[in-house]
Amino acid sequence: MFHNLQELRHSASLANKVFIQRDYSEGTTCKFQTKFPSELESRIERTLFEDTVKTLNNYYAEAEKIGGQSYLEGCLACATAYLIFLCMETRYEKVLKKIAKYIQEQNEKIYAPRGLLITDPIERGMRVIEISIYEDRGSSGSSSGSSSVSGSTAR
Amino acid sequence: MPGFSSGGVGGGVGATTFLVGATTLFFCFTCPWLSEHLSSVIPIYNAVIFLFTLANFCMATFMDPGIFPRAEEDEDKEDDFRAPLYKTVEIKGIQVRMKWCSTCRFYRPPRCSHCSVCDNCVEDFDHHCPWVNNCIGRRNYRYFFLFLLSLTTHIMNVFGFGLVYVLHHQKELDTPGAAVTMGVMCVAGLFFVPVAGLTGFHIVLVARGRTTNEQVTGKFRGGVNPFTNGCLRNITHVLCSSQAPRYIGRWRGRQTVEVQPPFLRPALTEAQLEAKVLDNGIQNDRHSTRSKSSLDQMESQSADAEAPPPPKPELRYPGLPRADTEESSLLTEAPPTPSMYKYRPTYNSPGRNHTALTHPNKSSRQPSYRSEPSSLDGTTVVGGGVGVRRGGGERGEGPGGPGGTAGGVLGGMSGYSLTGRSYTSYPSSLVLSTGGSHSSSLRSAHTAHNPLATLHSEGTTDTSYKSLANQTPRNGSLSYDSLLTPSESPEFESAAHELSPQNTPLQGYTSPFLSAQIAQQREGQLLQGSATFSSPHKAYLRAVSPPLPSSAGPPETHYLLQHNQDFSSRPPRNPSSSSSSPGARSLEPPVSPSTSRPVLANHTTSKPGGGVKKVTGVGGTTYEISV
Repeated sequence: MFHNLQELRHSASLANKVFIQRDYSEGTTCKFQTKFPSELESRIERTLFEDTVKTLNNYYAEAEKIGGQSYLEGCLACATAYLIFLCMETRYEKVLKKIAKYIQEQNEKIYAPRGLLITDPIERGMRVIEISIYEDRGSSGSSSGSSSVSGSTAR
Repeated sequence: MPGFSSGGVGGGVGATTFLVGATTLFFCFTCPWLSEHLSSVIPIYNAVIFLFTLANFCMATFMDPGIFPRAEEDEDKEDDFRAPLYKTVEIKGIQVRMKWCSTCRFYRPPRCSHCSVCDNCVEDFDHHCPWVNNCIGRRNYRYFFLFLLSLTTHIMNVFGFGLVYVLHHQKELDTPGAAVTMGVMCVAGLFFVPVAGLTGFHIVLVARGRTTNEQVTGKFRGGVNPFTNGCLRNITHVLCSSQAPRYIGRWRGRQTVEVQPPFLRPALTEAQLEAKVLDNGIQNDRHSTRSKSSLDQMESQSADAEAPPPPKPELRYPGLPRADTEESSLLTEAPPTPSMYKYRPTYNSPGRNHTALTHPNKSSRQPSYRSEPSSLDGTTVVGGGVGVRRGGGERGEGPGGPGGTAGGVLGGMSGYSLTGRSYTSYPSSLVLSTGGSHSSSLRSAHTAHNPLATLHSEGTTDTSYKSLANQTPRNGSLSYDSLLTPSESPEFESAAHELSPQNTPLQGYTSPFLSAQIAQQREGQLLQGSATFSSPHKAYLRAVSPPLPSSAGPPETHYLLQHNQDFSSRPPRNPSSSSSSPGARSLEPPVSPSTSRPVLANHTTSKPGGGVKKVTGVGGTTYEISV
C-alpha cells in the first residue's frame, strides 16, 4: 500500500548541467571564466555567481603562488628525499581543502536553495566547474497513489 | 634527442641495473681507498648524490604525471556532427588550439597531450620516457629534471674519482680493484654522453619555458611562446612551485548537500518581464532566452566555451519521468531547433560515407568534426546517430567497419542526404572562421543576426584538419600529439600524405595572420580533396568544385577572415612536406583566391526539388533545406 504522504512530497531531479570553462587568457594558471551562463539566468543572481567564481579563482591563485613557502617546501622535500610527502600535506592540497569547504558552504547556503549544485572542479581535472541544475518535478503523489489504489482494488 | 629517448621499455630496467650496479661496485672497490687516502667526505658526498638521484628517479617513475580523468558523458553536450575538432583560445594574445580528445572526451587544455602508450591525457605533457616507463608531465617534470641533473653529477663523480684511483694505481692495474674501477669508468663514460646531452637539452627547455613536445614539434619556431614568463620565472616555476595535485584517485567526499524544492528564483529583470508579457507563454520565452542568449554569449565571447544546443533532457537523463505538469513538458520536449542547425550534420555525410569506404580520403575531408574517423585516435567511424560518438573511445573500430551501415543510417535520416548539396560549402566557410562557435553562428545566419559578430567571436580558424596537424610526421618530426610515441592515427598521416600535396605543417600557436592563411588553404584543400571522393554524392561534389570568377574570391575570404589583420592573398605554392626540413615551420603562404572560390559554389548548385526550402544566408549565399 502506498503512502500518499511520501509521494506528495516535492522532489527535484537533475535537468541540466552547465560547465564553466577555464579562462586561459593568462596562460595555464588555474582560472575560470566569470562569464554568466545563460542557463542560470533564471536561477541565480549574476552577482552571486560571479562572486563564487572570483573567490575560487583567488583560491587557486593562492595555491599556485610561487613564493617563500613553496620554495621552502621544495627544499625540505629534497633534503628528506621526498619522504616528507608521506607525512606532510603540500600547500596546494591545503588550499584544495579550503576550496572544498568553500564549495560545500556555497552549495548549502546559496546554490541548493536555488536548485543548483556546484561540483568541485578538481573532480573534473580542474578543467570545468560543473553546475547541476535541478528542476522541481512537482508532486506526483496523487496520481500514482490513486492508480495504485485502483490497481489493488481491481485485483 | 628524440631518438635517444625512444629506447623501449626494457631500456628502463637495463638502465637502472647499470646505474645501481655500477654505483655499488664503485662504492665497494673504489671508495674505501679514496676515503683512506684522500678524504672520508668523498664517499659520503657520493652517497648523497646517489641517493638524491635514486629519489628523483623513483618520483619520476612512480608519480602520476598529471593525468586527466575521463570526462563524464554529460560534459560532452554536442552531437558529434556539430562539434569541431579544435577550439581556439587566446593566451596572452596568441591563438592556441585545443584539440578534441576522443578517448578522454574533452578538449585538451593547452599544453596537454594524449599519450598513446599510457592512453591518458597528461597535463603539460613533456614526453613519455621509456627509461622510467612513465609520462613526464606537470607533476613530475621537476623530479625528472632533477634526476637528470643529479645523474649527470653522479656520473661525473664516479668517472672523476675512478680516474683518480686509476691514476694512483697505474702499476697495479691487474688488481681487482683497479680492474673494476676501470670497468665502472667505462660504463660511466658511455652513459655520460647521452645523459649530459639530454640534461643540457632540458636545461635549455626549462630556461625557455617549453616542453619537449613543443620543442620537437617546432611549435614556437616562427612565433612566440605564450607560456613563457622569462627565464628566471620559468626556472622558479619548475623548481619552486608547489607540488601540483593529482586528479585521479582522489578520495571524493560524499555530497551531503540536498537539493529540495521549492527553489528560490531571482527577481526577473525588466527585459525578462517585457519578454514574458509579449510572448505567448512560458515555453516560448524560455526557448528564446536559451537560443538568443546563447547567441549573445557566442558573439561576445572570444574564448572557447560553446553555446550548448537546446538540451534534450530525455536523452541525457533517462530517469526523468514524463509527468504531466507544464514544467515537465518543457523538459521532456526538445525545443524546436532552427532547421539550419538541424541539418548541419549533413555537410559531413558525403565525406563520412567516403571515409568509411575509401580510406585515403579521410585526410582532406573537411571540416574536422569530432566524429571524423581516424582523426581521433583511430577510433570510431561514421554513423548518423548520436550514439556513434559513444563508441569513440574504442580503438578497435577501423574505418572499414561501420562503413556499410553508414550509408543506410544516413539515408534513413529524413532530409539529411538531400540537404548536402548546395549549402554545405557555405557553412564550411563559416565553420572555418568560427570554429567552436559554429553551431550558433549558423543559427545566427539563419535568423539573420549579424554574422560578422559571430565570426569575430573566434579569433582564428580552428577547424583545422587533423590531416594538417599530422602531416608533420612525414618529415621525421613529430606532431604535437604523437611525440616520441606511436602516432595516434598513423594511417591518417599516410592518408594525408597521399592526398594533400601542398599543405603546410600546422602550428598550434600561430599569429592570426598565419591562421588566416591556413584557413584559406584548408578551404581550398577541402574542396580539392572532396572532389576525389567516389560516392553517390559525386554529382554534388563536382558541382561544388568548379571555379567561380575570381572576383568573387577575395571579398568572400576577406569577409570570412575580416577579423584577421594583414590579410593578403598570395599565389599558391605547392611545397611537398618532404622537402622541408624536419621541424621547419616557415610561414606558408595562403592559397590563391581560386581555391576560395568554391565557397560560393552553392550559388550555382541550387536545384530546388520537391519539398525544399531555400534559405538565404550571409553574403547572399543560398542553400536549400528539405522540409
